[in-house]
Amino acid sequence: MVKTRFGIWVGALALATVFGSGGVMSAETIKIGIPVGLSGANSVVAPSVVQAAELAVAEINKAGGVIGRQLELIVADDGSGAQGAQKAFDSLVFQKKVDVLISMETSAARNAGLPIVNRGRVPFIYTSFYEGRSCSPWLYVNAWVPEQQVAPIVDYFMDTKRAKTYFLIGSDYAFGRGMLEFTRAYIDQRGGKVLGEEYLPMDGTDWTAIISKLKASGADALITSTAGGAPNVTLTKQLRAAGVDIPYGNLAVDEGTARNMGADAAGIYISASYITDIGSAENKRFLKAMMAMFGDDLKTPNDLSVPEYEGVYLYKLAVEKAGTTDAQAVVDALGEVAFQGPRGRIQMNKQHHAPLTMYLAQVQADGGIKLINSFKDVDPGEQCPNL
Amino acid sequence: MVGVLVLDIVTTAAILFAVATGLMIILGVMKLINFAHGAFLTIGGYAAYVATSLGWNPWLAIPFAALVGFLLGVIVEHVIVRPLYARPLDAILATWGLGIIIGQLITIGFGRQVQFVESPISGAIDFLGQSYSLYRLVLVVLALAMGAALTALLYFTRFGLNARAVIMNEDLARGLGIDSTKVRLLTFGLGAALASMAGALITPLISVDPNLGLPWLVNSFMLVLVSGVSIPGLMVAALILGGAQVIVSTYFSAILGGLTIVVIAAVILRVRPQGLTSG
Repeated sequence: MVKTRFGIWVGALALATVFGSGGVMSAETIKIGIPVGLSGANSVVAPSVVQAAELAVAEINKAGGVIGRQLELIVADDGSGAQGAQKAFDSLVFQKKVDVLISMETSAARNAGLPIVNRGRVPFIYTSFYEGRSCSPWLYVNAWVPEQQVAPIVDYFMDTKRAKTYFLIGSDYAFGRGMLEFTRAYIDQRGGKVLGEEYLPMDGTDWTAIISKLKASGADALITSTAGGAPNVTLTKQLRAAGVDIPYGNLAVDEGTARNMGADAAGIYISASYITDIGSAENKRFLKAMMAMFGDDLKTPNDLSVPEYEGVYLYKLAVEKAGTTDAQAVVDALGEVAFQGPRGRIQMNKQHHAPLTMYLAQVQADGGIKLINSFKDVDPGEQCPNL
Repeated sequence: MVGVLVLDIVTTAAILFAVATGLMIILGVMKLINFAHGAFLTIGGYAAYVATSLGWNPWLAIPFAALVGFLLGVIVEHVIVRPLYARPLDAILATWGLGIIIGQLITIGFGRQVQFVESPISGAIDFLGQSYSLYRLVLVVLALAMGAALTALLYFTRFGLNARAVIMNEDLARGLGIDSTKVRLLTFGLGAALASMAGALITPLISVDPNLGLPWLVNSFMLVLVSGVSIPGLMVAALILGGAQVIVSTYFSAILGGLTIVVIAAVILRVRPQGLTSG
């Protein structure tokens, strides 16, 4: 039942998007464009992202808006891919004339949208973790890059699990390969050894031969970076069915997917900038507010949706600092403002990227996530040295 | 390593065989390529999900999935396939559309997310000196049992006799008083039941989501075409094509391995257009 009602909710949201843009307040509102994958690969996570943005906007509007103006959300489906993103960005930037874009998207969609952002000269806060090194004067990123995510897992395996040899498995696409290339370099740098690196096409589900190679290699630990959803689940199930029980770090699993995998996910190590378990007052207040606003329809907040919430607040602070929604003034201010959100203090001051507190956690047999260690303000490294 | 390779090949072949039989039965009797085969695999996965989330024993999920598949298959045959007997190409298109509709209905009913299905057994055992997945070994036994049961059904029952008569010459069979409409109805139900059962059988190894059946559809087609539509032929085809996939994945690259079945099937069909067995 929850799911059916959720479907209706999405429909209502789409309608609200269509009619909302011509609404009463449009003359005075500050328009926030959200191009997001409501259909396609991101469709599972996108609703949680929209919810996070809705909460931020509702809270800010209730408190009087930004420089005396109300915020208005305009959501556009980018189809999780390049073609859809071109349409979504085009319509948001040139037809709806949004003041800012704040969104989680696939790398393909971001790459397709970025030229439009540059042409339209609007600030763009990208709130999805990604493979890194996407640079534009208009682009800011408040989510993690490989430099921030990989180190906690590898360091933990090296120092606590005494793992010297590693096996890497991934899906054959930019993010999967990018993450594992970085992982390999980091393992080498730390004096470990990578015994094998294997990929399956993105839609591949038969990991038989790769798992046999992994077992034959005798590696001390396994690190994977597959496409989200099915490849991640099939790999984990087949690993467990084959009795693989070495330390297993998964760079691509989120809390929600881990829960859905049940007992098979138990023992997996994950590294994220957000887990619901974070004990800070800001996170507790955030979770409570989400629950109050969405009730049964709430999609569990996650590492992709919480940065969206914080992104809206970072934009608010930048506009207040600039005293205007003028794009250049806001972009200049975006790197200077800091927001104390559910993930901690976020400031996008490192070449348009943000130092983040990263959490190493382990999935438990009951599907819960146990926090093992946190690493404060991990630096994103050299992402955009020319900015 | 060679021991593991052999086990990988045999178990992969068993999975492919189980997944493709439903498609083959329908193609053999009805001369109909059932594009909804992938959707019936998906239905099996969700039947297993429903059964285990009701708290049933995971083994019960397998016959339950077969029952659900059979009932849906019979309904589909009656409502969609039968009116198109005289238009075989349209019937194929109709099954294609049906596959899309089933996928969307599952998405509406259950959502897009991955569902958790309890496995009947998990973990590895020592087998022939190797630590190997117990469930994959069990699948080999189950696939062989499936093959044996189907052979028995086709060669030792009245339904099988009628079905074989329809396969050889439908008009003549009808002239001899065989109710070919009923044979077609039961065959489609049987094919759907087999597909759905296979979907439930592979859930411990795959992700139960609305696209569950999709990756298996193309490989199933290739196997059935290469097999020449016979049960031993399908077993041989599964061993050859599945074996080639495992060997290429192990010694070259798993990315190439994913293409192996399609490429080798194309080569075999170039050399023997009639498939491996039919003469």
